[in-house]
Amino acid sequence: MEALTLSLVKAVPALGAAPLWAVSLLLMVASGVVVLVFALTFEGVGSLVLRKVAGDIQARIGPNRVGPNGILQFLADGVKLVLKEDIVPAKADALLFKLAPYLVFVGSFAAFVVVPFGVGLSAADLNIGIYYVMAVTSLVVIGVLLAGWASNNKWALLGGMRAAAQIVSYEIPVGMALIPAVLIAGSLSLQDIVRSQGGLFGLFGWNLFHNPFTFFSFFLYFTAAQAETNQTPFDLPEAESELVSGYNVEYSGIRFGLFFLAEFGDMFIVAALATACFLGGWNVPFIRAEALPGIWGSLLSLGVFLGKAFAMVLVMMWVRWTLPRLRVDQLMRMSWKYLVPLTFVNLLGVSLWLLVFDGKGIPELIASLAG
Amino acid sequence: MGLREYMNDILEAVVTTAKGMRITARYGVDPKEEVTLQYPEERWEVPERFRGFLHNDVKKCTACTMCVKVCPVDCISLESVRGADKKMVLASYDINIGRCMYCGLCVEVCPPKSLTHTGGYEKASTDRGELILHFIEEDAAEVKARVARQVAEAAAKAAEAAKAAEAAKAAEAPEAADPSSEAGKAAGGDPKPAKEEPKE
Repeated sequence: MEALTLSLVKAVPALGAAPLWAVSLLLMVASGVVVLVFALTFEGVGSLVLRKVAGDIQARIGPNRVGPNGILQFLADGVKLVLKEDIVPAKADALLFKLAPYLVFVGSFAAFVVVPFGVGLSAADLNIGIYYVMAVTSLVVIGVLLAGWASNNKWALLGGMRAAAQIVSYEIPVGMALIPAVLIAGSLSLQDIVRSQGGLFGLFGWNLFHNPFTFFSFFLYFTAAQAETNQTPFDLPEAESELVSGYNVEYSGIRFGLFFLAEFGDMFIVAALATACFLGGWNVPFIRAEALPGIWGSLLSLGVFLGKAFAMVLVMMWVRWTLPRLRVDQLMRMSWKYLVPLTFVNLLGVSLWLLVFDGKGIPELIASLAG
Repeated sequence: MGLREYMNDILEAVVTTAKGMRITARYGVDPKEEVTLQYPEERWEVPERFRGFLHNDVKKCTACTMCVKVCPVDCISLESVRGADKKMVLASYDINIGRCMYCGLCVEVCPPKSLTHTGGYEKASTDRGELILHFIEEDAAEVKARVARQVAEAAAKAAEAAKAAEAAKAAEAPEAADPSSEAGKAAGGDPKPAKEEPKE
Protein backbone atom coordinates (compact mmCIF):
# COMPACT_ATOMS: atom_id res chain seq x y z
CA MET A 1 0.00 0.00 0.00
CA GLU A 2 2.77 2.39 0.89
CA ALA A 3 4.60 1.77 -2.34
CA LEU A 4 1.40 2.38 -4.25
CA THR A 5 0.78 5.60 -2.35
CA LEU A 6 4.29 6.81 -3.06
CA SER A 7 4.01 5.99 -6.74
CA LEU A 8 0.68 7.79 -6.91
CA VAL A 9 2.18 10.86 -5.27
CA LYS A 10 5.03 10.69 -7.75
CA ALA A 11 2.62 10.41 -10.68
CA VAL A 12 0.38 13.26 -9.53
CA PRO A 13 2.59 15.97 -8.01
CA ALA A 14 -0.41 17.96 -6.79
CA LEU A 15 -1.03 15.26 -4.18
CA GLY A 16 2.36 15.92 -2.65
CA ALA A 17 0.93 18.86 -0.73
CA ALA A 18 -1.49 16.59 1.16
CA PRO A 19 -0.24 14.53 4.10
CA LEU A 20 0.76 10.98 3.21
CA TRP A 21 -1.82 9.35 5.46
CA ALA A 22 -4.63 11.26 3.70
CA VAL A 23 -3.55 9.99 0.31
CA SER A 24 -3.24 6.51 1.77
CA LEU A 25 -6.73 6.72 3.25
CA LEU A 26 -8.13 7.98 -0.02
CA LEU A 27 -6.55 5.05 -1.84
CA MET A 28 -7.92 2.59 0.69
CA VAL A 29 -11.44 3.94 0.39
CA ALA A 30 -11.20 3.99 -3.39
CA SER A 31 -9.97 0.41 -3.64
CA GLY A 32 -12.61 -0.66 -1.12
CA VAL A 33 -15.32 0.94 -3.26
CA VAL A 34 -13.96 -0.67 -6.43
CA VAL A 35 -13.92 -4.10 -4.81
CA LEU A 36 -17.40 -3.60 -3.39
CA VAL A 37 -18.77 -2.58 -6.76
CA PHE A 38 -17.09 -5.58 -8.35
CA ALA A 39 -18.44 -7.90 -5.66
CA LEU A 40 -21.99 -6.62 -5.98
CA THR A 41 -21.90 -6.75 -9.77
CA PHE A 42 -20.53 -10.27 -9.74
CA GLU A 43 -23.12 -11.36 -7.19
CA GLY A 44 -25.93 -9.87 -9.24
CA VAL A 45 -24.80 -11.22 -12.57
CA GLY A 46 -23.83 -14.49 -10.90
CA SER A 47 -27.37 -15.04 -9.70
CA LEU A 48 -28.62 -14.52 -13.24
CA VAL A 49 -26.01 -16.81 -14.79
CA LEU A 50 -26.75 -19.46 -12.19
CA ARG A 51 -30.39 -19.49 -13.19
CA LYS A 52 -29.58 -19.48 -16.89
CA VAL A 53 -27.18 -22.40 -16.46
CA ALA A 54 -29.76 -24.23 -14.39
CA GLY A 55 -32.29 -23.57 -17.12
CA ASP A 56 -30.06 -24.97 -19.85
CA ILE A 57 -29.09 -28.05 -17.89
CA GLN A 58 -32.67 -28.78 -16.94
CA ALA A 59 -33.98 -28.13 -20.46
CA ARG A 60 -35.80 -25.00 -19.28
CA ILE A 61 -35.36 -21.42 -20.42
CA GLY A 62 -34.60 -19.52 -17.24
CA PRO A 63 -35.30 -15.82 -16.70
CA ASN A 64 -36.08 -14.12 -20.01
CA ARG A 65 -38.63 -11.42 -19.19
CA VAL A 66 -36.71 -8.40 -17.90
CA GLY A 67 -34.54 -6.85 -20.56
CA PRO A 68 -33.24 -8.60 -23.68
CA ASN A 69 -32.96 -12.31 -22.91
CA GLY A 70 -33.55 -11.54 -19.24
CA ILE A 71 -30.20 -9.91 -18.59
CA LEU A 72 -31.71 -7.21 -16.38
CA GLN A 73 -33.39 -9.75 -14.13
CA PHE A 74 -30.87 -9.28 -11.33
CA LEU A 75 -31.57 -5.54 -11.22
CA ALA A 76 -35.27 -6.21 -10.92
CA ASP A 77 -34.55 -8.72 -8.17
CA GLY A 78 -32.39 -6.20 -6.37
CA VAL A 79 -35.06 -3.52 -6.56
CA LYS A 80 -37.63 -6.00 -5.32
CA LEU A 81 -35.48 -7.04 -2.38
CA VAL A 82 -34.84 -3.44 -1.38
CA LEU A 83 -38.48 -2.43 -1.60
CA LYS A 84 -39.86 -5.43 0.30
CA GLU A 85 -41.04 -5.01 3.87
CA ASP A 86 -38.36 -5.58 6.45
CA ILE A 87 -39.86 -7.91 9.03
CA VAL A 88 -38.36 -8.68 12.42
CA PRO A 89 -40.31 -11.44 14.19
CA ALA A 90 -41.99 -10.22 17.38
CA LYS A 91 -40.19 -12.64 19.70
CA ALA A 92 -36.86 -12.61 17.88
CA ASP A 93 -33.77 -11.10 19.44
CA ALA A 94 -34.00 -7.94 17.38
CA LEU A 95 -30.40 -6.74 17.75
CA LEU A 96 -28.77 -10.09 16.93
CA PHE A 97 -31.35 -10.74 14.23
CA LYS A 98 -30.44 -7.51 12.50
CA LEU A 99 -26.71 -8.01 13.02
CA ALA A 100 -26.46 -11.52 11.54
CA PRO A 101 -26.81 -10.76 7.81
CA TYR A 102 -24.12 -8.07 8.04
CA LEU A 103 -21.72 -10.49 9.70
CA VAL A 104 -22.33 -13.03 6.95
CA PHE A 105 -21.91 -10.44 4.23
CA VAL A 106 -18.81 -8.87 5.75
CA GLY A 107 -17.31 -12.33 6.22
CA SER A 108 -17.65 -13.07 2.55
CA PHE A 109 -16.89 -9.59 1.25
CA ALA A 110 -13.75 -9.03 3.33
CA ALA A 111 -12.12 -11.97 1.59
CA PHE A 112 -12.26 -10.00 -1.69
CA VAL A 113 -9.63 -7.67 -0.28
CA VAL A 114 -6.71 -10.04 -0.87
CA VAL A 115 -7.85 -11.60 -4.13
CA PRO A 116 -4.93 -11.18 -6.59
CA PHE A 117 -6.87 -9.83 -9.56
CA GLY A 118 -3.76 -9.11 -11.55
CA VAL A 119 -0.13 -7.99 -11.42
CA GLY A 120 -0.17 -5.80 -8.34
CA LEU A 121 -3.91 -5.59 -8.59
CA SER A 122 -5.34 -6.41 -5.20
CA ALA A 123 -6.88 -4.12 -2.63
CA ALA A 124 -4.23 -5.26 -0.16
CA ASP A 125 -1.36 -7.67 -0.77
CA LEU A 126 -1.24 -9.08 2.75
CA ASN A 127 1.70 -11.28 3.58
CA ILE A 128 -0.74 -13.55 5.43
CA GLY A 129 -3.20 -13.68 2.51
CA ILE A 130 -4.49 -17.25 2.70
CA TYR A 131 -4.50 -17.19 6.47
CA TYR A 132 -6.53 -13.97 6.34
CA VAL A 133 -9.08 -15.48 3.94
CA MET A 134 -9.54 -18.54 6.12
CA ALA A 135 -9.94 -16.36 9.22
CA VAL A 136 -12.30 -13.85 7.72
CA THR A 137 -14.60 -16.35 6.03
CA SER A 138 -15.04 -17.98 9.43
CA LEU A 139 -17.13 -14.95 10.38
CA VAL A 140 -19.83 -16.51 8.24
CA VAL A 141 -20.24 -19.30 10.79
CA ILE A 142 -20.99 -16.81 13.53
CA GLY A 143 -23.40 -14.90 11.34
CA VAL A 144 -25.26 -18.01 10.25
CA LEU A 145 -25.49 -19.39 13.76
CA LEU A 146 -26.61 -16.00 15.02
CA ALA A 147 -29.28 -15.78 12.33
CA GLY A 148 -30.61 -19.20 13.28
CA TRP A 149 -30.56 -18.51 16.98
CA ALA A 150 -31.96 -14.97 16.95
CA SER A 151 -34.89 -15.88 14.69
CA ASN A 152 -36.52 -17.74 17.59
CA ASN A 153 -37.69 -20.41 15.21
CA LYS A 154 -36.96 -24.13 15.45
CA TRP A 155 -36.29 -24.57 11.77
CA ALA A 156 -34.04 -21.56 11.62
CA LEU A 157 -32.14 -22.82 14.64
CA LEU A 158 -31.73 -26.29 13.15
CA GLY A 159 -30.63 -24.78 9.86
CA GLY A 160 -28.14 -22.54 11.61
CA MET A 161 -26.73 -25.49 13.60
CA ARG A 162 -26.37 -27.58 10.49
CA ALA A 163 -24.74 -24.74 8.62
CA ALA A 164 -22.28 -24.13 11.42
CA ALA A 165 -21.43 -27.82 11.74
CA GLN A 166 -20.91 -28.08 8.01
CA ILE A 167 -18.82 -24.95 7.59
CA VAL A 168 -16.61 -25.76 10.57
CA SER A 169 -16.12 -29.36 9.41
CA TYR A 170 -15.18 -28.43 5.89
CA GLU A 171 -12.87 -25.62 6.89
CA ILE A 172 -10.24 -28.21 7.82
CA PRO A 173 -9.98 -29.94 4.42
CA VAL A 174 -10.14 -26.55 2.68
CA GLY A 175 -7.21 -25.26 4.69
CA MET A 176 -5.26 -28.48 4.37
CA ALA A 177 -5.79 -28.62 0.62
CA LEU A 178 -4.51 -25.04 0.19
CA ILE A 179 -1.32 -25.58 2.14
CA PRO A 180 0.53 -27.39 -0.71
CA ALA A 181 0.36 -24.14 -2.69
CA VAL A 182 1.76 -22.29 0.30
CA LEU A 183 4.56 -24.85 0.65
CA ILE A 184 5.56 -24.56 -2.97
CA ALA A 185 5.54 -20.76 -3.02
CA GLY A 186 7.05 -20.48 0.45
CA SER A 187 4.69 -17.60 1.18
CA LEU A 188 1.17 -17.00 2.47
CA SER A 189 0.68 -13.98 0.23
CA LEU A 190 -1.62 -14.75 -2.66
CA GLN A 191 0.41 -12.57 -5.03
CA ASP A 192 3.55 -14.53 -4.19
CA ILE A 193 1.74 -17.82 -4.69
CA VAL A 194 0.57 -16.69 -8.11
CA ARG A 195 4.04 -15.46 -9.03
CA SER A 196 5.55 -18.81 -8.08
CA GLN A 197 3.51 -20.50 -10.80
CA GLY A 198 4.79 -18.47 -13.75
CA GLY A 199 7.92 -19.22 -15.59
CA LEU A 200 8.87 -20.97 -18.76
CA PHE A 201 6.63 -24.01 -18.45
CA GLY A 202 3.40 -22.23 -19.33
CA LEU A 203 0.43 -24.33 -18.41
CA PHE A 204 2.70 -26.86 -16.69
CA GLY A 205 4.08 -24.23 -14.38
CA TRP A 206 0.76 -24.19 -12.58
CA ASN A 207 0.56 -25.81 -9.20
CA LEU A 208 -2.08 -28.13 -10.59
CA PHE A 209 0.64 -29.93 -12.57
CA HIS A 210 3.45 -29.40 -10.10
CA ASN A 211 3.29 -32.96 -8.84
CA PRO A 212 0.62 -35.67 -8.49
CA PHE A 213 -0.25 -34.66 -4.96
CA THR A 214 -1.04 -31.06 -5.88
CA PHE A 215 -3.18 -32.39 -8.70
CA PHE A 216 -5.33 -34.30 -6.22
CA SER A 217 -5.14 -31.38 -3.81
CA PHE A 218 -6.94 -29.20 -6.30
CA PHE A 219 -9.91 -31.55 -6.54
CA LEU A 220 -10.01 -32.06 -2.81
CA TYR A 221 -9.95 -28.31 -2.31
CA PHE A 222 -12.68 -27.79 -4.86
CA THR A 223 -14.96 -30.40 -3.29
CA ALA A 224 -14.42 -29.16 0.24
CA ALA A 225 -14.83 -25.53 -0.77
CA GLN A 226 -18.03 -26.27 -2.58
CA ALA A 227 -19.30 -27.73 0.66
CA GLU A 228 -18.02 -24.86 2.76
CA THR A 229 -20.00 -22.35 0.72
CA ASN A 230 -23.18 -24.43 1.02
CA GLN A 231 -23.35 -25.15 -2.69
CA THR A 232 -26.00 -27.56 -3.76
CA PRO A 233 -24.72 -31.08 -3.33
CA PHE A 234 -23.99 -29.94 0.20
CA ASP A 235 -26.68 -27.32 0.76
CA LEU A 236 -28.09 -28.92 3.86
CA PRO A 237 -28.46 -25.70 5.84
CA GLU A 238 -30.97 -24.51 3.25
CA ALA A 239 -32.64 -27.85 2.51
CA GLU A 240 -35.89 -26.17 1.57
CA SER A 241 -37.83 -29.41 1.52
CA GLU A 242 -37.08 -30.39 5.11
CA LEU A 243 -36.03 -27.19 6.80
CA VAL A 244 -38.16 -24.60 4.99
CA SER A 245 -34.93 -22.91 3.82
CA GLY A 246 -33.04 -23.09 7.11
CA TYR A 247 -31.35 -20.26 8.96
CA ASN A 248 -32.79 -17.51 6.78
CA VAL A 249 -36.48 -18.42 6.94
CA GLU A 250 -37.43 -15.43 9.02
CA TYR A 251 -35.52 -12.94 6.93
CA SER A 252 -37.18 -10.74 4.38
CA GLY A 253 -36.27 -7.97 2.00
CA ILE A 254 -32.70 -6.77 1.84
CA ARG A 255 -31.64 -8.74 4.90
CA PHE A 256 -32.43 -11.91 3.01
CA GLY A 257 -30.71 -10.35 0.02
CA LEU A 258 -27.49 -9.97 2.01
CA PHE A 259 -27.42 -13.70 2.76
CA PHE A 260 -28.00 -14.32 -0.88
CA LEU A 261 -25.25 -11.94 -1.99
CA ALA A 262 -22.84 -13.48 0.51
CA GLU A 263 -23.47 -16.89 -0.97
CA PHE A 264 -22.52 -15.69 -4.44
CA GLY A 265 -19.56 -13.78 -3.03
CA ASP A 266 -18.35 -17.01 -1.43
CA MET A 267 -18.67 -18.72 -4.76
CA PHE A 268 -16.33 -16.20 -6.33
CA ILE A 269 -13.87 -16.39 -3.44
CA VAL A 270 -13.70 -20.15 -3.76
CA ALA A 271 -13.16 -19.91 -7.50
CA ALA A 272 -10.57 -17.14 -7.07
CA LEU A 273 -8.61 -19.13 -4.49
CA ALA A 274 -8.68 -22.20 -6.71
CA THR A 275 -7.40 -20.06 -9.56
CA ALA A 276 -4.71 -18.34 -7.54
CA CYS A 277 -3.44 -21.43 -5.75
CA PHE A 278 -3.70 -24.12 -8.42
CA LEU A 279 -4.48 -22.65 -11.83
CA GLY A 280 -1.68 -20.14 -12.07
CA GLY A 281 -3.71 -17.09 -11.04
CA TRP A 282 -3.16 -14.27 -13.51
CA ASN A 283 -0.28 -16.05 -15.26
CA VAL A 284 -0.70 -16.36 -18.98
CA PRO A 285 1.18 -19.28 -20.55
CA PHE A 286 4.42 -18.09 -22.20
CA ILE A 287 3.73 -14.38 -21.62
CA ARG A 288 5.25 -12.48 -18.75
CA ALA A 289 2.45 -10.14 -17.74
CA GLU A 290 4.73 -8.32 -15.26
CA ALA A 291 7.07 -7.34 -18.05
CA LEU A 292 4.47 -5.77 -20.32
CA PRO A 293 4.72 -1.98 -20.59
CA GLY A 294 2.41 0.33 -18.69
CA ILE A 295 -1.10 -0.67 -17.85
CA TRP A 296 -1.29 -3.53 -20.36
CA GLY A 297 0.28 -6.05 -18.03
CA SER A 298 -2.29 -5.30 -15.37
CA LEU A 299 -5.18 -5.40 -17.82
CA LEU A 300 -4.09 -8.67 -19.41
CA SER A 301 -3.52 -10.33 -16.07
CA LEU A 302 -6.85 -9.02 -14.79
CA GLY A 303 -8.67 -10.46 -17.79
CA VAL A 304 -6.92 -13.80 -17.51
CA PHE A 305 -7.56 -14.08 -13.81
CA LEU A 306 -11.24 -13.20 -14.15
CA GLY A 307 -11.59 -15.62 -17.06
CA LYS A 308 -10.14 -18.48 -15.06
CA ALA A 309 -12.16 -17.60 -11.97
CA PHE A 310 -15.43 -17.31 -13.88
CA ALA A 311 -14.75 -20.62 -15.56
CA MET A 312 -14.35 -22.14 -12.12
CA VAL A 313 -17.62 -20.52 -11.03
CA LEU A 314 -19.30 -22.10 -14.03
CA VAL A 315 -17.89 -25.48 -13.04
CA MET A 316 -19.30 -24.97 -9.56
CA MET A 317 -22.73 -24.26 -11.02
CA TRP A 318 -22.37 -27.27 -13.27
CA VAL A 319 -21.65 -29.51 -10.28
CA ARG A 320 -24.46 -27.83 -8.46
CA TRP A 321 -27.06 -28.89 -10.99
CA THR A 322 -25.63 -32.36 -11.43
CA LEU A 323 -25.46 -33.96 -8.02
CA PRO A 324 -28.32 -34.63 -5.64
CA ARG A 325 -28.18 -33.34 -2.09
CA LEU A 326 -26.33 -35.39 0.50
CA ARG A 327 -27.86 -36.49 3.78
CA VAL A 328 -26.47 -35.04 7.03
CA ASP A 329 -24.62 -38.21 8.00
CA GLN A 330 -23.26 -38.63 4.47
CA LEU A 331 -22.06 -35.03 4.58
CA MET A 332 -20.23 -35.50 7.86
CA ARG A 333 -18.81 -38.82 6.75
CA MET A 334 -17.55 -37.30 3.54
CA SER A 335 -15.74 -34.57 5.46
CA TRP A 336 -14.24 -36.51 8.33
CA LYS A 337 -13.70 -39.93 6.82
CA TYR A 338 -12.67 -39.01 3.31
CA LEU A 339 -11.66 -35.40 2.76
CA VAL A 340 -9.75 -34.78 5.99
CA PRO A 341 -7.55 -37.94 5.80
CA LEU A 342 -6.99 -37.50 2.09
CA THR A 343 -5.91 -33.89 2.42
CA PHE A 344 -3.51 -34.87 5.18
CA VAL A 345 -2.04 -37.63 3.03
CA ASN A 346 -1.74 -35.16 0.18
CA LEU A 347 -0.02 -32.61 2.39
CA LEU A 348 2.43 -35.26 3.51
CA GLY A 349 2.99 -36.29 -0.09
CA VAL A 350 3.67 -32.75 -1.23
CA SER A 351 6.06 -32.16 1.64
CA LEU A 352 7.97 -35.35 0.89
CA TRP A 353 8.08 -34.51 -2.80
CA LEU A 354 9.50 -31.07 -2.09
CA LEU A 355 12.03 -32.61 0.28
CA VAL A 356 13.11 -35.40 -2.05
CA PHE A 357 13.23 -33.44 -5.30
CA ASP A 358 14.56 -30.23 -3.78
CA GLY A 359 11.39 -28.23 -4.45
CA LYS A 360 11.25 -29.11 -8.14
CA GLY A 361 8.01 -29.95 -9.88
CA ILE A 362 7.53 -32.59 -12.56
CA PRO A 363 8.08 -30.14 -15.48
CA GLU A 364 11.32 -28.90 -13.96
CA LEU A 365 12.52 -32.45 -13.38
CA ILE A 366 11.82 -33.35 -16.96
CA ALA A 367 13.55 -30.20 -18.14
CA SER A 368 16.62 -30.93 -16.00
CA LEU A 369 16.70 -34.52 -17.30
CA ALA A 370 16.54 -33.28 -20.86
CA GLY A 371 19.01 -30.44 -20.35
CA MET B 1 -14.24 -50.84 6.41
CA GLY B 2 -11.12 -52.12 4.75
CA LEU B 3 -8.74 -50.03 2.75
CA ARG B 4 -9.89 -51.60 -0.49
CA GLU B 5 -13.49 -50.70 0.22
CA TYR B 6 -12.41 -47.18 1.15
CA MET B 7 -10.54 -46.73 -2.10
CA ASN B 8 -13.41 -48.24 -4.05
CA ASP B 9 -15.77 -45.71 -2.47
CA ILE B 10 -13.56 -42.86 -3.60
CA LEU B 11 -13.25 -44.29 -7.09
CA GLU B 12 -16.99 -44.78 -7.33
CA ALA B 13 -17.64 -41.22 -6.18
CA VAL B 14 -15.27 -39.82 -8.80
CA VAL B 15 -16.60 -42.00 -11.61
CA THR B 16 -20.26 -41.41 -10.91
CA THR B 17 -19.74 -37.67 -10.51
CA ALA B 18 -17.93 -37.57 -13.83
CA LYS B 19 -20.71 -39.54 -15.48
CA GLY B 20 -23.37 -37.22 -14.10
CA MET B 21 -21.44 -34.15 -15.09
CA ARG B 22 -21.04 -35.46 -18.62
CA ILE B 23 -24.78 -35.83 -18.93
CA THR B 24 -25.54 -32.37 -17.55
CA ALA B 25 -22.83 -30.86 -19.71
CA ARG B 26 -24.44 -32.34 -22.77
CA TYR B 27 -27.73 -30.78 -21.81
CA GLY B 28 -26.08 -27.51 -20.83
CA VAL B 29 -24.27 -27.11 -24.13
CA ASP B 30 -27.00 -28.47 -26.36
CA PRO B 31 -30.43 -28.19 -24.75
CA LYS B 32 -32.39 -30.20 -27.30
CA GLU B 33 -35.84 -29.11 -26.31
CA GLU B 34 -37.14 -26.55 -23.90
CA VAL B 35 -39.86 -27.94 -21.71
CA THR B 36 -40.78 -24.43 -20.62
CA LEU B 37 -44.15 -23.19 -21.80
CA GLN B 38 -43.99 -19.41 -22.09
CA TYR B 39 -47.38 -19.21 -20.52
CA PRO B 40 -49.15 -15.98 -21.30
CA GLU B 41 -48.03 -16.15 -24.94
CA GLU B 42 -48.00 -19.88 -25.49
CA ARG B 43 -50.75 -22.03 -24.14
CA TRP B 44 -51.18 -25.66 -23.42
CA GLU B 45 -53.45 -27.34 -25.95
CA VAL B 46 -56.40 -28.53 -23.94
CA PRO B 47 -57.39 -32.18 -24.53
CA GLU B 48 -60.75 -32.80 -26.17
CA ARG B 49 -62.45 -34.16 -23.09
CA PHE B 50 -60.88 -31.74 -20.63
CA ARG B 51 -63.24 -30.64 -17.89
CA GLY B 52 -62.79 -26.92 -17.78
CA PHE B 53 -65.29 -24.31 -16.68
CA LEU B 54 -68.96 -25.09 -17.25
CA HIS B 55 -70.89 -23.30 -19.92
CA ASN B 56 -74.63 -23.33 -20.35
CA ASP B 57 -76.13 -22.60 -23.73
CA VAL B 58 -79.15 -20.77 -22.36
CA LYS B 59 -80.95 -20.89 -25.68
CA LYS B 60 -81.06 -24.68 -25.50
CA CYS B 61 -81.61 -24.96 -21.77
CA THR B 62 -85.06 -26.15 -20.70
CA ALA B 63 -84.69 -25.21 -17.03
CA CYS B 64 -85.41 -28.78 -16.04
CA THR B 65 -83.23 -28.42 -12.90
CA MET B 66 -81.60 -31.79 -13.38
CA CYS B 67 -78.16 -30.22 -13.08
CA VAL B 68 -79.14 -28.43 -9.89
CA LYS B 69 -80.39 -31.65 -8.33
CA VAL B 70 -77.40 -33.75 -9.32
CA CYS B 71 -74.68 -31.29 -8.31
CA PRO B 72 -72.90 -32.67 -5.23
CA VAL B 73 -71.62 -29.31 -4.10
CA ASP B 74 -74.64 -27.17 -4.96
CA CYS B 75 -72.75 -24.83 -7.16
CA ILE B 76 -75.51 -24.40 -9.76
CA SER B 77 -78.62 -22.35 -9.04
CA LEU B 78 -81.38 -21.30 -11.37
CA GLU B 79 -84.69 -19.53 -11.30
CA SER B 80 -87.35 -19.97 -13.94
CA VAL B 81 -90.92 -19.03 -14.77
CA ARG B 82 -93.50 -20.75 -16.95
CA GLY B 83 -93.76 -18.86 -20.19
CA ALA B 84 -96.76 -18.15 -22.38
CA ASP B 85 -96.20 -21.29 -24.48
CA LYS B 86 -96.17 -23.42 -21.29
CA LYS B 87 -92.40 -23.89 -21.57
CA MET B 88 -90.11 -22.93 -18.69
CA VAL B 89 -88.19 -19.69 -19.19
CA LEU B 90 -84.91 -19.15 -17.37
CA ALA B 91 -84.89 -16.10 -15.15
CA SER B 92 -81.37 -16.69 -13.89
CA TYR B 93 -78.73 -19.35 -14.26
CA ASP B 94 -75.64 -19.07 -12.03
CA ILE B 95 -72.69 -21.38 -11.59
CA ASN B 96 -70.31 -20.79 -8.73
CA ILE B 97 -67.07 -22.07 -10.25
CA GLY B 98 -65.30 -21.34 -7.00
CA ARG B 99 -67.26 -24.24 -5.57
CA CYS B 100 -67.41 -26.46 -8.63
CA MET B 101 -65.28 -29.61 -8.40
CA TYR B 102 -65.48 -30.42 -12.11
CA CYS B 103 -67.05 -33.84 -11.57
CA GLY B 104 -69.04 -33.52 -14.77
CA LEU B 105 -72.24 -35.04 -13.39
CA CYS B 106 -74.33 -32.05 -14.44
CA VAL B 107 -73.05 -32.32 -18.01
CA GLU B 108 -73.85 -36.01 -18.18
CA VAL B 109 -77.32 -35.55 -16.83
CA CYS B 110 -78.35 -32.56 -18.94
CA PRO B 111 -81.23 -33.68 -21.22
CA PRO B 112 -80.94 -30.99 -23.94
CA LYS B 113 -77.10 -31.16 -23.81
CA SER B 114 -76.96 -27.46 -23.25
CA LEU B 115 -74.51 -27.69 -20.34
CA THR B 116 -70.95 -28.40 -21.42
CA HIS B 117 -67.40 -28.24 -20.16
CA THR B 118 -65.28 -25.68 -21.94
CA GLY B 119 -61.50 -25.69 -22.18
CA GLY B 120 -61.25 -22.65 -19.92
CA TYR B 121 -59.13 -22.83 -16.81
CA GLU B 122 -57.99 -19.27 -16.10
CA LYS B 123 -60.15 -17.24 -13.84
CA ALA B 124 -57.97 -16.15 -10.95
CA SER B 125 -59.59 -13.37 -9.02
CA THR B 126 -59.19 -11.49 -5.79
CA ASP B 127 -62.94 -11.37 -5.29
CA ARG B 128 -65.05 -14.47 -4.79
CA GLY B 129 -68.04 -12.73 -6.32
CA GLU B 130 -66.26 -12.81 -9.66
CA LEU B 131 -66.19 -16.58 -9.51
CA ILE B 132 -69.96 -16.78 -9.89
CA LEU B 133 -70.82 -17.01 -13.57
CA HIS B 134 -74.13 -15.38 -14.55
CA PHE B 135 -75.39 -16.84 -17.80
CA ILE B 136 -78.42 -14.53 -17.99
CA GLU B 137 -77.45 -10.90 -18.14
CA GLU B 138 -80.83 -9.55 -17.13
CA ASP B 139 -82.01 -9.29 -13.56
CA ALA B 140 -84.14 -12.30 -12.55
CA ALA B 141 -87.03 -10.10 -11.32
CA GLU B 142 -87.09 -8.22 -14.64
CA VAL B 143 -87.22 -11.45 -16.62
CA LYS B 144 -90.02 -12.72 -14.40
CA ALA B 145 -92.01 -9.49 -14.79
CA ARG B 146 -91.52 -9.54 -18.57
CA VAL B 147 -92.59 -13.15 -18.87
CA ALA B 148 -95.59 -12.47 -16.61
CA ARG B 149 -96.56 -9.56 -18.85
CA GLN B 150 -96.19 -11.70 -21.96
CA VAL B 151 -98.26 -14.43 -20.38
CA ALA B 152 -100.92 -11.95 -19.36
CA GLU B 153 -100.97 -10.47 -22.87
CA ALA B 154 -101.19 -13.89 -24.41
CA ALA B 155 -103.99 -14.79 -22.03
CA ALA B 156 -105.84 -11.57 -22.79
CA LYS B 157 -105.41 -12.24 -26.50
CA ALA B 158 -106.63 -15.78 -26.04
CA ALA B 159 -109.60 -14.56 -24.06
CA GLU B 160 -110.41 -11.99 -26.73
CA ALA B 161 -110.09 -14.62 -29.41
CA ALA B 162 -112.28 -16.93 -27.40
CA LYS B 163 -114.83 -14.12 -26.91
CA ALA B 164 -114.78 -13.35 -30.59
CA ALA B 165 -115.18 -17.01 -31.41
CA GLU B 166 -118.00 -17.21 -28.91
CA ALA B 167 -119.64 -14.16 -30.36
CA ALA B 168 -119.32 -15.61 -33.81
CA LYS B 169 -120.72 -18.86 -32.58
CA ALA B 170 -123.50 -17.08 -30.76
CA ALA B 171 -124.31 -15.13 -33.89
CA GLU B 172 -124.44 -18.32 -35.85
CA ALA B 173 -126.26 -20.52 -33.42
CA PRO B 174 -126.69 -19.56 -29.74
CA GLU B 175 -126.08 -22.75 -27.82
CA ALA B 176 -124.74 -23.83 -24.50
CA ALA B 177 -122.57 -21.46 -22.34
CA ASP B 178 -119.97 -24.17 -21.73
CA PRO B 179 -117.09 -22.98 -23.95
CA SER B 180 -117.45 -19.39 -22.75
CA SER B 181 -117.13 -20.44 -19.12
CA GLU B 182 -114.00 -22.40 -19.98
CA ALA B 183 -112.41 -19.43 -21.70
CA GLY B 184 -113.36 -17.21 -18.79
CA LYS B 185 -111.70 -19.57 -16.36
CA ALA B 186 -108.47 -19.55 -18.37
CA ALA B 187 -108.49 -15.75 -18.54
CA GLY B 188 -109.18 -15.44 -14.84
CA GLY B 189 -106.39 -17.82 -13.88
CA ASP B 190 -103.79 -15.98 -15.86
CA PRO B 191 -102.72 -12.94 -13.77
CA LYS B 192 -100.52 -15.16 -11.58
CA PRO B 193 -99.38 -17.69 -14.13
CA ALA B 194 -96.19 -19.40 -13.16
CA LYS B 195 -94.88 -18.16 -9.88
CA GLU B 196 -93.81 -21.66 -9.05
CA GLU B 197 -90.08 -22.04 -8.57
CA PRO B 198 -88.81 -25.47 -9.55
CA LYS B 199 -85.49 -24.59 -7.93
CA GLU B 200 -86.42 -25.91 -4.49
